[in-house]
Amino acid sequence: MSGMDLLWLVPAAPLAGFLILFMLHDWLPKAVAAMVGAGSVGVSAAAALLVGMDYYEAGAQPTWQLLWTWMSVAGFDPAIRLYLDGLSLAMTSVITGVGFLIHVYATGYMWNDHEEPRGFARFFAYMNLFVFAMLMLVLGDNLLVLFLGWEGVGLCSYLLIGFHHRDPANGYAARKAFVVTRVGDTFMALGLFLMFRELGTIEIQESLTLANSEWGGGDTTMAFIIGMLLLGGAVGKSAQVPLQTWLPDAMAGPTPVSALIHAATMVTAGVYLIARMHDIFLISPEAQLAVAVVGLVTLFIASFTALVQTDIKRVLAFSTMSQIGYMFFALGVGAWSAAIFHLMTHAFFKALLFLSAGSVILALHHEQDIFKMGGLWRKLPIPFASMLIGSICLAALPFTSGFFSKDVIMLTAFEHANHGLLFWGGAAIAAFMTALYTTRMMIIVFFGEQRTEAHDESRINMWGPLLALCALSLLGGWFGFGVVSGVLPDGGLGEFPHAFGIAIATMVVPLLGVGVGLLAFGWRVIDVEALADSAAGGALKRFFFSGWGFDWLYDNIVVKPVTWVARINKGDIVDWIYRITVAITRGAHHVGSLTQSGRLRWYAANMAFGLALFLLIVLGVIG
Amino acid sequence: MSLLAIILAMLAAGVVAWASERFHANAPRYVSLLAFIVGLVWAAAEWLMGADPRGLYAVQFIEWIPRFGINVTLSMDGLSMMMVALTMFLGIIAVVSSWDEIEERSGFFQFNILWVMAGVVGVFTAMDLFLFFFFWEVMLIPMYFLIAIWGHEARAHAAMKFFLFTQVSGLLMLFAILALVWAHHSASGEITFAYHRLLDAEIDSRIGFWLMLGFFAAFATKLPAVPVHTWLPDAHTQAPTAGSVILAGILLKTGAYGLIRFAVPLFPEASEAFATPAMVLGAASVLYGGLMAYSQSDFKRLVAYSSIAHMGFILLGVYAFNEWGMQGAIVTMIAHGFSTAALFMMAGALQHRLHTREMSKMGGLWVRAPRMGVMTLFFVVASVGMPGLGNFIGEFLALLGAFQKNVPLTVAAAVGIVVAAVYGLSLMQRSFQGEPNPDVATMRDFGGREMSVMVLMMIGLIWVGVYPQPVLDMAAPFIDAMLAPMATLPDIPLAEATITEAGLHR
Repeated sequence: MSGMDLLWLVPAAPLAGFLILFMLHDWLPKAVAAMVGAGSVGVSAAAALLVGMDYYEAGAQPTWQLLWTWMSVAGFDPAIRLYLDGLSLAMTSVITGVGFLIHVYATGYMWNDHEEPRGFARFFAYMNLFVFAMLMLVLGDNLLVLFLGWEGVGLCSYLLIGFHHRDPANGYAARKAFVVTRVGDTFMALGLFLMFRELGTIEIQESLTLANSEWGGGDTTMAFIIGMLLLGGAVGKSAQVPLQTWLPDAMAGPTPVSALIHAATMVTAGVYLIARMHDIFLISPEAQLAVAVVGLVTLFIASFTALVQTDIKRVLAFSTMSQIGYMFFALGVGAWSAAIFHLMTHAFFKALLFLSAGSVILALHHEQDIFKMGGLWRKLPIPFASMLIGSICLAALPFTSGFFSKDVIMLTAFEHANHGLLFWGGAAIAAFMTALYTTRMMIIVFFGEQRTEAHDESRINMWGPLLALCALSLLGGWFGFGVVSGVLPDGGLGEFPHAFGIAIATMVVPLLGVGVGLLAFGWRVIDVEALADSAAGGALKRFFFSGWGFDWLYDNIVVKPVTWVARINKGDIVDWIYRITVAITRGAHHVGSLTQSGRLRWYAANMAFGLALFLLIVLGVIG
Repeated sequence: MSLLAIILAMLAAGVVAWASERFHANAPRYVSLLAFIVGLVWAAAEWLMGADPRGLYAVQFIEWIPRFGINVTLSMDGLSMMMVALTMFLGIIAVVSSWDEIEERSGFFQFNILWVMAGVVGVFTAMDLFLFFFFWEVMLIPMYFLIAIWGHEARAHAAMKFFLFTQVSGLLMLFAILALVWAHHSASGEITFAYHRLLDAEIDSRIGFWLMLGFFAAFATKLPAVPVHTWLPDAHTQAPTAGSVILAGILLKTGAYGLIRFAVPLFPEASEAFATPAMVLGAASVLYGGLMAYSQSDFKRLVAYSSIAHMGFILLGVYAFNEWGMQGAIVTMIAHGFSTAALFMMAGALQHRLHTREMSKMGGLWVRAPRMGVMTLFFVVASVGMPGLGNFIGEFLALLGAFQKNVPLTVAAAVGIVVAAVYGLSLMQRSFQGEPNPDVATMRDFGGREMSVMVLMMIGLIWVGVYPQPVLDMAAPFIDAMLAPMATLPDIPLAEATITEAGLHR
C-alpha cells in the first residue's frame, strides 16, 4: 500500500472526530474531548504528509480516489471523488497543518470557558466538522462536492461565530455571516447550473478541458458569465467587496475560530475556487480583470479601515480582508502561483497573529480594546515576540514570508499589459497602509504605559503552536513557492524586465510605512490626534471606521425594506381575497335571510310578484 | 397481502382503536402504533421482494361498477411504494409525537389518524380515477375532525377553511375527471375511469387545457401554491401535533403526487403549455412563502409558511419537464416529509411544555433543553438546504432542472435559498439562542421516546442526502416512461465523442 491510498483518511479522520464528539459530547471528559478533537486533525495532518511525500516521489502526477457516486440522474452524475494535485495538496497541508496547531492551541484557550462551561466537546465537534468540510472543498473533483464543502464550512462558521449563544450579538453576527455568504453561494449555484447546461458536466477537470475546446479563441460570453458567477461565490466566502461586511462581525467567535476559519482557511476558499477554475478566467480576460479589480478595491478599502479600528481582532479582520484582496488581485493579474503562495504564507502569519492576540486577550480577561492594553511586552513576552514576528511578515518587511509572496504579486502587477502602473500604485499604497496600521497596532498594544493588569497563564499547548507558527512565518517564504509550481499556468517566478527599480521601490514601501508609523504612534512626531480631531479628519475617520459605510447602505436598501414588508404583511395580504369572499357571502346571507321575516303579507306579496314575473317571462318567450 | 387488504386493515384498525378505548385509556395508541409498524414492515417486505417485470411491487384488480368502467384498480410502482412507506413511517411519528398530548377521546383520535392514512395510501395506489377521487375525499373528513376537535384556540375556523379549500378545489377536479371520461367516451365509445386507458385518450387540446386546469387547481391547492395557500398556515397552527405532522409530512405530498401522476401524464401537451405559469407560481411560492415565514412570530406558523416555500421547488421541478426536475421534486417530497415532520413535532413539544407557540416567550431554550436545541438545529439546517442532507438534493435537482427550462424563474427561486437561511436561522435564534427567558425557569428535555423518533428522521435525511440513488432509482421507471413520449429532454450540446477526444475518459 502506498501512502497515496491514505488520501481518504485525510478528510475521514476529522469527520470521525466530529461524529464521536457530537454523539458523546455530554459524556466525554474534557481531556478526552481535547485529545479526540486535536488528535483527529493530527491524524489527518500525518496522513496528508504521507500522501504528499508519495505524491512527489511518484513524480507529482495528479491522481484520483473514487469513494462513491453521489447520485446519477440523466447524465448528471457527480462522484464523490478526491483529486490530488499540487494545488489541492498545498491547500490540504495548510488546512491540516495550521489547523492542527490551532486545534492544539484551542485546547488551552477553551479549557476554562466561563460562558459555555459544558460546551468544550461541542466546540471541538464543530471545529472538526469544519476541517472535514474544508478538506472536501479543496479535494473534491466535482463542483458539487466542492459546493458541499463550501456550504459546510459556512455552516461551521455560523455555528462557531455564535458559539457563545447566550449573547444575542453573537447570534446576530453568526447569522449575518451565514446569510451574506449565502448570497454569494447562490451566485455560485447558478454558475453550476449554467455550466451543466452549457458543458453537460460539473466535473472540474473535465469541464475545464471542455471549456477550453468550446470557448477558447471563440465566443467567450459563456465563460465570462460563468466566471462572474463563480466570482460572486468567491467574494462572499472570501469577504471581498461587495460582500465583505460579515467578516468584521464574525470576530464575535472565539479567537481560535477567527484564526482557523476567518484567517487561515475558509476565507481563502474563494481564492482557491478561482485558482482551481483558472481556465475559465484565462478564456475570458474580462472576468479575470474583474477579479483583479475586486481584489484591488478590497485591499485598498480594508487597509484604510484597519488603520482606525480600536478592537484588536477587528484590526486583524480588516487586515485579513485586505490580504485576501492581495490574493484576488494576484489572480486577476495572472500571478496565479503567487496568489496561492501568499495564501499559504498569510495562513501562517495571520494564524500566528490571531493566536498571539488570543493570548493577549486571555491574559487581559477578554479585553479586546487596544487602547486598554499598552506596555504589555514585558508582561507577555511570548505573545509579544510572536505577534512581532507575525507583524513583520504582515507588513512584508524584507526576507520574511510575507515579503516573498507580496513581492511577486506587486512585480507581476507592474507587468500588467494595460494597467501596470495603476495596479502597482494601488497595491503599493495599500502596502504602505498595511505597514502603517500594523506598526500602530504593535505600538499601542505592547508599548507605552500599561493600562490593564495581565496574567499570562498559557501552557505548552498554547505557546507551542505559537512557536511553530513563528518558525513557519519566518521561514515559509524560503521553501513555499516550490509547492505550487507546475500546477497553475505561470512558470513560477517569471521574468520581470523592469525588475530592478520597481523591485527596490516595492521593498522600500513597507519600510516607509513602518517609519511613518513609528513617527506618528511611537515618537509622536506627527500629531495624529490633532488630525483626527479636525472636522474633516474626524469625518474621514468615522467613515473609515464604519468600513466605508457598506453596512449602512445594505441596512437601508435591503434589511430595512424587507423587515418592513415582513412586519406589515404578517397577516398575509393574499388571505384578504378569501376574507372578502367570506364577507360578501355572509352579507348575501344576511340580505337573503331578511326575506324570512315570518310575516304572511310579505310572503303573499312575494309570491304574487314572483308569479307575475314568471308569467311575463313565459309570455315573452311565447310571444 | 393485497393492497386493498392493507387499506381495509387500516380502516379496521381505526375502528378497533376507537372501540379499545373502553378497555384501557392507552389501548388506542398501541393499536394505532402497531398498525403503522405492521404497515411499514409490509412495505419493506414488498420492497425486499422486488418488483415484477412491469416495475410493480403490488397490483390488484377487482370489478366494482362495470357499467361505468369503474373498478378497484390498485397498483404500486416505485414512486407509490416510496410514498406509501413514507406514509407508514410518518404514521408512527404522528402517533409517537402525540403520545401524551391527547387525553380526551383518544380512541376517536386514533381512529381519525388511521382513516386519514388509509385514504392517503389509497390515493398513492389508486389507478382508477373514480377510486382516486374517492380516496381523495376519504382523507379529508377525518383530517377535518382532527383539527376541529383536538385543535387549538381557533380550531373551528381553521378546520372549516381547510375543508372548504380542499372541497372546492376537489370539486373542480371531479368535474375534470367526469369531463375527461366523457371526452374519451365520445372519441372512442368506451366508458372507463381506468388511468392507463385514459392516458391514451385523444382529447381536443383546447378542452384538454381546461381539464388539466381542473386537476391542477386541486393539486396546487393541496400542495399548496401561492395564491391558494392561505388555508395551510391556519390549519397547521391550529392542528394538534399529530395533525400537523400528517398534514405537512404526507397530505401536502398528495398534491405533488397528483401533479406527477395525473395532471402531467394525462395532459402532457396542455401541461407543457402551462409550464411557465406553473413555474411562476412555484417561484412565487418559494419567495412569498419564505418572506411570510420570516414575518411570523409563531413557531408553528413559521414552519407552516416554510412548507409553502419548499413546495414551490416541487412545482418548479415538475414543470421543468426533465428528469432532473422531476427527480428533484420527488426527493423533496421525501426529505421535506422528514424535516418538516420533525420541526412540527418540535413545535408540538414546545407548546406542550410552554403552553405557547409565540417565540417572543421563548429564547435561550438551549440552556434548558440542549437535546431539543441540537435537534432543532439539525432540522433547521436540513431545511435550509445544507448539502449532505436530503432537502439539498431535492432542491438542487429541482433548480438544476428548472434552469434548463426557464432561467429567470430559476434565478428568482434561487433567491429563496438566501431567504431560507434568513427565516431558518431566525427561528433558531428566537427560540433556542440568546439569553434564557426568565419566565421559562425549567423545561423538560427530550426523553428516550422523543429522541428515538428524532434520530430516525435524522438518519433518513442523512441517507437521502449522502446516497439518494435508491430513491432516484425507485422513481426512475415511472419518470422515464412519462417523459419519453414528450422527448423534451434538452440534449446536452457536447456529445460523448468530444469528451473522448479530449482524452478525459478515465
